[in-house]
Amino acid sequence: MSSAPWSLHLLSEVLAAFTLESPTALRDVVSRVGESVDAEVIAIFQGGEFELCSGLNRQEKPALQAIAATADTELRLEGGLLHLFWAPLNNGELLVVGRFREGFDLEERALLRGMGRCIQLSTQVLAAVKAEQEALRAEQVAKERAIHEATCDHLTGLPNRRLLLAHLAARLAAPAPVDCHTAVLFIDLDRFKQINDLHGHPAGDEVLRQVGQRLSALVRGGDLVGRISGDEFVVVAEVREQADALSLADRILEQLQLPLQVQGRALPSSGSIGIAIAEAGDDPETLLANADLAMYSVKQRGSGRFACFDASLREQLQERARIEEELRAGLAAGQIRAWFQPIISTVHGTVVGFEALARWQHPQRGVLAPAVFITIAEEAGLLRELDAAVLKDACLQIGGWSGARDGLLPRLSVNISATSLADPLLSQRVREVLASSDFPGDQLFLEITETTLVEDVASAFTNIAELKTLGIRLAVDDFGTGYSSLRYLRRFPVGILKIDRSFVDGLGHDQEDEVIVETVIRMARSLGIEVVAEGVETVDQAEILRRLGCHYLQGFLYGRPTDAASSAELYEESLVGLIRLGVHVA
Amino acid sequence: MFPVDQTASAATAAAATAVQDPERHRWIRVGTSIDHDPERAVQEALAPVLAMGSPRLAIIFCSPAHDLAAISRRVKQALGDGDVIGCSTAGELIRDHALSGGLLIWALGGEGFAVTTGFGQGDAQKGLRDAAFEAAQCIEQLERKQHTILFLLADGLCGDQMEVVRGAYDACGAQVPLMGGCAGDDMALQSTRQIHEGDLLTNAVVAAAITSDSPMAIGIAHGWEPLSEPMLVTGSRGTTLASLDDRPALDVYLDAYDAPEDVRQDPTAFFSFAHTRPIGIARRNRTEIRYVYGADYEKRTLTIFAEVPQGAMAYLMKGSCHSVLEATAEVCALAEKSLDGMPARGFMLLECVARKSLLDQAGLLDQSLRLPTIKEGVSVGGFYTYGEIARTEGSGGLHNQTVVALALA
Repeated sequence: MSSAPWSLHLLSEVLAAFTLESPTALRDVVSRVGESVDAEVIAIFQGGEFELCSGLNRQEKPALQAIAATADTELRLEGGLLHLFWAPLNNGELLVVGRFREGFDLEERALLRGMGRCIQLSTQVLAAVKAEQEALRAEQVAKERAIHEATCDHLTGLPNRRLLLAHLAARLAAPAPVDCHTAVLFIDLDRFKQINDLHGHPAGDEVLRQVGQRLSALVRGGDLVGRISGDEFVVVAEVREQADALSLADRILEQLQLPLQVQGRALPSSGSIGIAIAEAGDDPETLLANADLAMYSVKQRGSGRFACFDASLREQLQERARIEEELRAGLAAGQIRAWFQPIISTVHGTVVGFEALARWQHPQRGVLAPAVFITIAEEAGLLRELDAAVLKDACLQIGGWSGARDGLLPRLSVNISATSLADPLLSQRVREVLASSDFPGDQLFLEITETTLVEDVASAFTNIAELKTLGIRLAVDDFGTGYSSLRYLRRFPVGILKIDRSFVDGLGHDQEDEVIVETVIRMARSLGIEVVAEGVETVDQAEILRRLGCHYLQGFLYGRPTDAASSAELYEESLVGLIRLGVHVA
Repeated sequence: MFPVDQTASAATAAAATAVQDPERHRWIRVGTSIDHDPERAVQEALAPVLAMGSPRLAIIFCSPAHDLAAISRRVKQALGDGDVIGCSTAGELIRDHALSGGLLIWALGGEGFAVTTGFGQGDAQKGLRDAAFEAAQCIEQLERKQHTILFLLADGLCGDQMEVVRGAYDACGAQVPLMGGCAGDDMALQSTRQIHEGDLLTNAVVAAAITSDSPMAIGIAHGWEPLSEPMLVTGSRGTTLASLDDRPALDVYLDAYDAPEDVRQDPTAFFSFAHTRPIGIARRNRTEIRYVYGADYEKRTLTIFAEVPQGAMAYLMKGSCHSVLEATAEVCALAEKSLDGMPARGFMLLECVARKSLLDQAGLLDQSLRLPTIKEGVSVGGFYTYGEIARTEGSGGLHNQTVVALALA
């Protein structure tokens, strides 16, 4: 049997141990170098410090370190005389191998030199490869981050609109299994703006995160949840039939109705869902738009529910778009006019003022009531222009009535939205209207709802203060239907409370309504605020309100809203009536 | 119930006697039981140990047929402050014979010894190097006397066992000899257990750092001879040997040994065949043995208990019953010779389970533990292992199909 030179195969063994895959490759190789020559000590020095060291304990290491500079070949340790061989590596690195009992012969020294050279080259390769791998990894990470940022919503981590549409496109393009359809559920959170306004944007962000988590927990593995904008989420799910999509929507609504724990508070939550089921030929954008449209139809009917898309919704949408376009044009063309409903004094039974109500003098469709266009105006962001148009027209019209010449102007109430109230230019616009119409500010009441009083007035405090300097007062509409704070009634220039028609309806047959109305009147009187009862339709109601001490009445009993000319006549007649009664009206 | 009070009082009395008795300054005792009731087995195996006093260290070698959790808890409970480590085995060794399915407790005690123990948890992916390093850290807490060794027990089925030696060596350095073995599971090759202070572990390394005021020495022998010409290991990774001289390792192996047909097709037949046909790796001045324990007939590779490094020079080895018996008989004498002339008070004997198979096949197992050089009354205990650790010089020291002995003066 032949005997092979031992050093050659050990060199081959060590060379074979080099790998780029193991993070501990250098340590493993160094161990093998030591084992190959039965060395007890093996170390690598870098700048006089150990980069690796095996075989010495803490007490012995400094002794070896101390002779690194001189590369002594012997070191006396407790265990005996350690024979050393030093091999230079690169960049000032040194490989040192130590063995007790006997020194290294020529063959071993040649072997160790060769191994040292291998280690040197390999560490250079390893370092280069490592650097390259790190660069590649960094590039990959950057790429993944860029893709993530481009396709995912940073707040919730959910796919964004772009990724969702791509996913939807892939689904629609793939051959659908039998009895399997793609359903898109478009989810919009109800009253999300209020959360941001009342609790701040961090709370709103937390709400969105939690909603995203709830939705993700509800869907199956192959389904997708995305956030496409603001408070709008989309679920893409595979369903066998429409009932499956409805069932999913039901479960989502149930989850959304559970209060959200945000910043230590339980915030109420709910959502509205529109569902669209893909049909042959549908593209992702259309499918999403259909689901959006179905969601929109839910919102129109009061939110907190779900609805499926059908073709009639699209027609409604087209109709709505047409109205919006016409409304914009109508506003520019002065087609929005003020109509007037009389307000009657309970003392004399005569007209003392009017509430101005918006009417659209449509060139083709005639006079249109607000129900046709108010919601569209609100969604299209046209409320401010609408309010301004009605105010201007009302002041100009009444300012031109014959009584104005004698200073006998009626009071005028004009509805104003929360959007207008928050408009920094409001007082300036009102001032300009008053100036151009010669209408006195102290005869003007701006009507706001009870909700606006509580939730929006505080943010429009500057506007209100400026309006007050013009003599303008606030009238609180629909009083009693929401929740109010007496503090607000005192704090702001509230001149009139308008009792909501729902309480007036009950007068004469609902004792509770009568008690409520009486209480409101007493409270208002004690605060020095006048009361207008809305929706008065019967003589009995009028009589009761008069008995309870209500100042003014408004309703069909006294007249429906009419155009300026008819209202002017009515007011003229009323003035004449007053004069007949011997009431001094100047 | 186990008579805890009786054993405790017996230990206390024995400890008191030790003050006057030099024989008890350092003592080693071995107790065994083949009773499968954990309570009775522990009581029986501990009886000769506790007769000497409270041990510093008890090492449990136990067949996986026993309830190892109950046994390790019970031993720890009985010993109190004494350290306990141990492992599952592929057979237990005492003087003159081997046990099958037994419990063996090897213990040392007396003022002349001090012990600390540790353990490290590894896993199948990262192996046992870090676990061994962690286990060996126990040596840092040891108040060392003149002579110190680190005794290791590792999971014999978790990765490359050479990593155990490397990890322990990283922690202990050159001055501390390493000795130990790889836990077995009665050749089921499924899962082994390690014991540390009453806890049962797997994929772990447990260690006891032992220091003594008298010498401790290690002997190594195997008795195998090269059968083939040297071959270059051209493909190897971890415990898989893929090719020798660029030929599929399994084909080289089967052809060289002229394996019968059933061995070429049946894993069970191969397993039995390979027990007695290890691979040798050429080192600087010796041959290290590696135990072949499986074959992949599709990939034509061999599975080895420890790495056969790629690039190394390897031999196919042959052994005879005579050489195996001779190695076992001589290993204790080899170790005792290094005790600076002092007599051994006890031996730890760790022998590869494959050697047992060779003798078993030849009907010579009853002769395997005839140790004529050991004096009567000197305790001998150990186990059949899946790999043996013995490092006295250099930084390597993992063996297969080898017998290693630790002699303690």
